[in-house]
Amino acid sequence: MIRAVIVMNTQGKPRLLKFYEFQPPEKQQELTRSVFAVLSGRPDNVSNFVEADAIFGPGTRLVYKHLATLYFVFVFDSCENELAMLDLIQVLVETLDRCFKNVCELDIVFNFNKMHTILDEIIFGGQVLETSSERVLKAVEEISRLEKSSSSVSFVPKSVSGRFGR
Amino acid sequence: MALSGMRGLSVFISDVRNCQNKEQERLRVDKELGNIRTRFKNEKGLSPYEKKKYVWKMLYIYMLGYDVDFGHTETVSLISAPKYPEKQVGYIVTSCLLNENHDFLRMVINTVRNDIVGRNETFQCLALTMVGNIGGKEFSESLAPDVQKLLISSSCRPLVRKKAALCLLRLYRKNPDVVNVDGWSDRMSQLLDERDLGVLTSVMSLFVALVSSNIEAYWNCLPKCVKILERLARNQDVPQEYTYYGIPSPWLQVKTMRALQYFPTIEDPNTRRALFEVLQRILMGTDVVKNVNKNNAAHAVLFEALALVMHLDAEKEMMSQCVALLGKFIAVREPNIRYLGLENMTRMLLVSDVQDIIKRHQAQIITSLKDPDISIRRRALDLLYGMCDVTNAKDIVEELLQYLNTADFTMREELALKAAILAEKFAPDLSWYVDVILQLIDKAGDFVSDDIWYRVVQFVTNNEDLQPYAAAKAREYLEKPALHETMVKVSAYLLGEYSHLLARRPGCSPKEIFAIINEKLPTVATSTVAILLSTYAKILMHNLPPDPELQEQIWSIFRKYESYIDVEIQQRAVEYFSLSRKGAALVDVLAEMPKFPERQSALLKKAEDAEVDTAEQSAIKIRSQQQTSNALVVTDQRPANGSLPVSQLGLVRMPSQNMEASTQGQASSREEGMTDENGSINKVVPQDASTADLLGDLLGPLAIEGPQVPTVPGEQKDKNLLSALEATPEEAGPLALATVDDQPNSVQPIVNIAERFNALCLKDSGVLYEDPHIQIGIKAEWRAHHGRLVLFLGNKNTSPLVSVRALILPPTHLKMELSMVPETIPPRAQVQCPLEVVNLRASRDLAVLDFSYKFGTAVVNVKLRFPVVLNKFLQPILVSAEEFFPQWKSLSGPPLKLQEVIRGVKPLSLPEMANLFTSLHLAVTPGIDANPNNLVACTTFYSESTRAMLCLIRVETDPSDRTQLRITIASGDPTLTFELKECIKEHLVSIPMQTPPPAVSPVQPQSPVSPAAYNDPGAMLAGLL
Repeated sequence: MIRAVIVMNTQGKPRLLKFYEFQPPEKQQELTRSVFAVLSGRPDNVSNFVEADAIFGPGTRLVYKHLATLYFVFVFDSCENELAMLDLIQVLVETLDRCFKNVCELDIVFNFNKMHTILDEIIFGGQVLETSSERVLKAVEEISRLEKSSSSVSFVPKSVSGRFGR
Repeated sequence: MALSGMRGLSVFISDVRNCQNKEQERLRVDKELGNIRTRFKNEKGLSPYEKKKYVWKMLYIYMLGYDVDFGHTETVSLISAPKYPEKQVGYIVTSCLLNENHDFLRMVINTVRNDIVGRNETFQCLALTMVGNIGGKEFSESLAPDVQKLLISSSCRPLVRKKAALCLLRLYRKNPDVVNVDGWSDRMSQLLDERDLGVLTSVMSLFVALVSSNIEAYWNCLPKCVKILERLARNQDVPQEYTYYGIPSPWLQVKTMRALQYFPTIEDPNTRRALFEVLQRILMGTDVVKNVNKNNAAHAVLFEALALVMHLDAEKEMMSQCVALLGKFIAVREPNIRYLGLENMTRMLLVSDVQDIIKRHQAQIITSLKDPDISIRRRALDLLYGMCDVTNAKDIVEELLQYLNTADFTMREELALKAAILAEKFAPDLSWYVDVILQLIDKAGDFVSDDIWYRVVQFVTNNEDLQPYAAAKAREYLEKPALHETMVKVSAYLLGEYSHLLARRPGCSPKEIFAIINEKLPTVATSTVAILLSTYAKILMHNLPPDPELQEQIWSIFRKYESYIDVEIQQRAVEYFSLSRKGAALVDVLAEMPKFPERQSALLKKAEDAEVDTAEQSAIKIRSQQQTSNALVVTDQRPANGSLPVSQLGLVRMPSQNMEASTQGQASSREEGMTDENGSINKVVPQDASTADLLGDLLGPLAIEGPQVPTVPGEQKDKNLLSALEATPEEAGPLALATVDDQPNSVQPIVNIAERFNALCLKDSGVLYEDPHIQIGIKAEWRAHHGRLVLFLGNKNTSPLVSVRALILPPTHLKMELSMVPETIPPRAQVQCPLEVVNLRASRDLAVLDFSYKFGTAVVNVKLRFPVVLNKFLQPILVSAEEFFPQWKSLSGPPLKLQEVIRGVKPLSLPEMANLFTSLHLAVTPGIDANPNNLVACTTFYSESTRAMLCLIRVETDPSDRTQLRITIASGDPTLTFELKECIKEHLVSIPMQTPPPAVSPVQPQSPVSPAAYNDPGAMLAGLL
């Protein structure tokens, strides 16, 4: 099972946290910090695997990808195949790239709500849900359409003043 | 740059980003939280859009690490919104913010259900996603049937069905009853016919979960899995969107091969052939290519195929092929492949016949020990440790020693431990072993635990041939200018005992030995001073004819320490001084240490503890068990007067603190004086060995872990008691079981029973027992004072096991009902026997599973301690400081509140201890005790007599000495308080028995206590403590 997905930048700022076994917020921060401490000490050109026993408990590992200013980290237990997890990070990254056209950290910061939508189409309850980034993209686009079409009906009349007031 | 679509949210995010420091950020966040709070309170003016915006902001703030303790109602209420955007936010944010037991979830359970059964697919997806991400028992009970319907519905889109499959998996994990095994075996088989690869991937995950707990029901799915694998491997009917870098869905391939690894074997020759064809194709057809992603995907499949081949125990030819591949991988440039190559090679060690091929790669593996990547270095260390045997021990250990100089600090302790263990296990000769350990201490003293030097002392003591050599070596090391404290200890100890054997060598007269040791005295810690004083006393004894000058020097040191602040040292000084004035009497009192009884290396245990306890038993562990027997063979080949000590043969656990106690105890030949925290002297009789040991050894295999007490002199005596018991069997009652491990079974367990038992005390499922024919597993579920267990009896053979019999002998405080156990277990079959438990009151007595079967002509009968222990009836509960203190105060003093100083605790860091407590179902509650070295935990105990009873626990640790702590426990029931305290204590100090006590030898009974008194182990323990 995948225990957690963490996206953070190279300063350790969390950009997306998703834990598939509930963790209280302090714990989430602590775990994120521990992961950052381990990753920031790793040079380039080493493997993408780190044993995470000390952070997430016995038998856990993490796989990460360091891309530009971001770390993408998946934490999982012995039921998953390490390289398959690494591939799944790639699927997430490729999907983001197609969604945002050359994704960068800022896209992720300002669209963290969309990140949740995308992630929910790839990982579900700690299991791999979809591995085809085309399919993920289709699902996400469908959701965006729904968001737009129904929102234009529901809120525009009421909140016009609110939108321009700020 | 795309924006979130909500201007307020974007503005807030960029404000936070613009904050210069944490303080500014906090101010901005607080301001926003205040704003949201006001808005939420003022309900009238809030449009759905605004609600949605604020809820997203809350999630953002939550992600930044701020506690958001309001607004949950608003969030959850969005789930019931009619329009998609609000509903979506409600579902997503709820699944991030709330845990499965949150009360608010109950409020929306109907909405969620309506969304799932409703016709709107987008709503179905949202609801399924939240349920799947949160889990939750209540969801599980009320929603599983509806989720199931979606999964098998033919009218649903794949998008919904794949989510339904995974949602069902999550619900099944929470409550296995939601999947009815009978109906599901056919259904699963149909589901595996699915053509849509997205749905099939999810279904396969569900299948893995189902099959992992019940292989039996799903044999019919095995050919389907092979078919799927064939389809993918041949790239038939795989749409482009599921081809990842040219490879047909690597995830599905991997998952399918995982599923196949749950089946013990594949009997059907056609299926087997088909599968091996696919595997062969994968093994041969994968090359290292330039594109990193393609490479990863191809190797994900390849490594899984390797694991499956290993599992199926293929023909030797295919195995050698695998080893050859792995040999190639550990030398490639790509670090991920190198890492996995080493890891899988370690697993490969389990396969017989390939060790020799693996050894050919030794040089390459040693190179990996210098890899820039610590992950790879660790893998290499594990592999070297696992592959070490008598033939290559010298090379490997010397490599490890060399590596110690440059290794990362985080690895040094493990490295030192592993080197020490290998040196002990595979020493071609014992002087080499001594060399290695002394080098270890010299190079990495800080990382050498006390166990390591205790062990070398023990070896030397038990081997006369070794003593002069060891003493001479110790003398050499003392010449070095800077010496690690541990080296001072071990050298002083060895020279105290054996320097007289060197007396004729230059520089080794008592006077010179004294002088060189005494140089160190001013700089060492008190624990070392104590050893030095004993050494001086011993030197004095060997100082014959007496050299008055030396005598005077040593006496003056004793006199100096007569008023020393540390009581231990003071007492030694006083006693040695007066003893040494008695002349000849000194020789008797300070005679050389007797040989130590045989016992297992505490180191090995430590290394095992350090290892992860995963479902699949780690290769190293199993190897190390195999290797123990190697060591046996090797030692057996020695001549009868051979130099190898018995200790390598008979493996009996040695609690790590024993040796120190005995060393000091016997060296000074007096009772141990210890100080308690108030500084008063607190006499601890060296634990009246006969009674104490009898508990440890007699009850150990039967029911209760005996308290940690020095067992050194006791071995003989408990044998006495054992025979005493056997002499009066009618009175011995349940204690007849004490011979559990002495039964003349020809079939030996292949797991460490004591260790399994201990593991199961802390977790709810796992293997309890395994021998070459049968595996007994347990899965347990606890609810208040009820427990529901399932015993899994798996026949590992291709012929049936007959005359199977399982009886549960419950202690008086448990009601246990085991359902019928079939008399015959068919070949390769697993039967499940449910077992109901009711807890009547607090007690640490244990149930015993009396299990027997017949295989061929052999009758195997084992009696196993059954892990229904006190802590299973605990449920962690978080208690706030306001609730805690009144309770704590109201329960004042014994017998409701008990306090004890526990010594000889396994040194655990606070987080480690907190983890231990969590696995004991104690909720560690930070923030109640201001002292960071203390832990406070709360839990609720359930039994029929006490109902729910709150228990409060406080542990005060001493950062400067992790081996002792003070524990205070309070509850409303005196028995509970006591039993809970003892239960926790056992886990804090326990280094449980690992191997059976040595065979009973006929010794005359000298039992001081009437055996009848031992009928109730709990009472006896209570009486003695």
